[in-house]
Amino acid sequence: MTKLEFIEALKKGLQGIPQVDIDRSVEFYSEMIDDRTEDGLSEEEAVKAVGSVDDAVNNILKEIPLPKIVKEKVRPKRGLSAWEIVLIILGFPLWFPLLAAFFSVILAVVVALWSVIVSLYAVDLSLLLAGVGCIFGSVITFIFGSMPLGLVMLAAGLILGGLAVLFFLLFNVITKGFLWLHKQFFLVLKRSIIGKGSAK
Amino acid sequence: MDIQMKRGLLDVCVLAAIKDEPSYGYKIIKDVKPFVEVSESTLYPILRRLETAGHLTVSTAEHNGRLRKYYTITPSGVKRIEAFKDEWKEIMQIYKFVAREESRSDET
Repeated sequence: MTKLEFIEALKKGLQGIPQVDIDRSVEFYSEMIDDRTEDGLSEEEAVKAVGSVDDAVNNILKEIPLPKIVKEKVRPKRGLSAWEIVLIILGFPLWFPLLAAFFSVILAVVVALWSVIVSLYAVDLSLLLAGVGCIFGSVITFIFGSMPLGLVMLAAGLILGGLAVLFFLLFNVITKGFLWLHKQFFLVLKRSIIGKGSAK
Repeated sequence: MDIQMKRGLLDVCVLAAIKDEPSYGYKIIKDVKPFVEVSESTLYPILRRLETAGHLTVSTAEHNGRLRKYYTITPSGVKRIEAFKDEWKEIMQIYKFVAREESRSDET
């Protein structure tokens, strides 16, 4: 791939984000390639060394806030004529609920992801509390009640406590997965808004 | 290494690379690479982020007939490095404690 091809692919991949951001990243990558050729690499090697266009695009998109991308998408490329403004005002009852629905869906997905995480830890906390409760209960049963019942309660308490620890470790792994999903969701969303299909 | 941790470390590494004198993209990569893995696609967002946060400023200068961007650290960037060093002093104390426990158990 030549430098020109890389830059063109980058521009194409970033289409839909504000033009200043495109220009800046193009300047950055073209400087990087030039510096490497100056360092003794061939053009082909220099382009290879700066990594894939897809990585570049994804990392740039991750940093740009979603509202900025949406704003760029809906911003008209020219001035609006009078009748267009009238249409926009008259169409308010139509487009506003649609826009609100769009953001509600995004919010719903985010809340859903986070509530899974919260509920997982709630389960863990309840196991722990139940375990501690059982152990305390067993002490009281030992003193005031029957020995066998106290033993059963003690065993139950220890099992619950152990489960709490095991689940805690498991939930940590699951949470990490969900955080990744959260990031991925926004990346896919941004890519689909600028019209680049799903992320590879 | 944990991704979140690596991200924070990279920010400070980039600031450290421009601490003594203004530097440019390719040089920053060459300076940081021996310590943390960094590529163009990760460096670019970091530079943007640090610029937005006011930790560095960008200026353009001519080099060999083309333009090159130079990054200069700001006082707030220097502060960020200092804060990092303070934070890690604490972490190093903890590390010493942990490592000591390990070497003791190795002896037995």
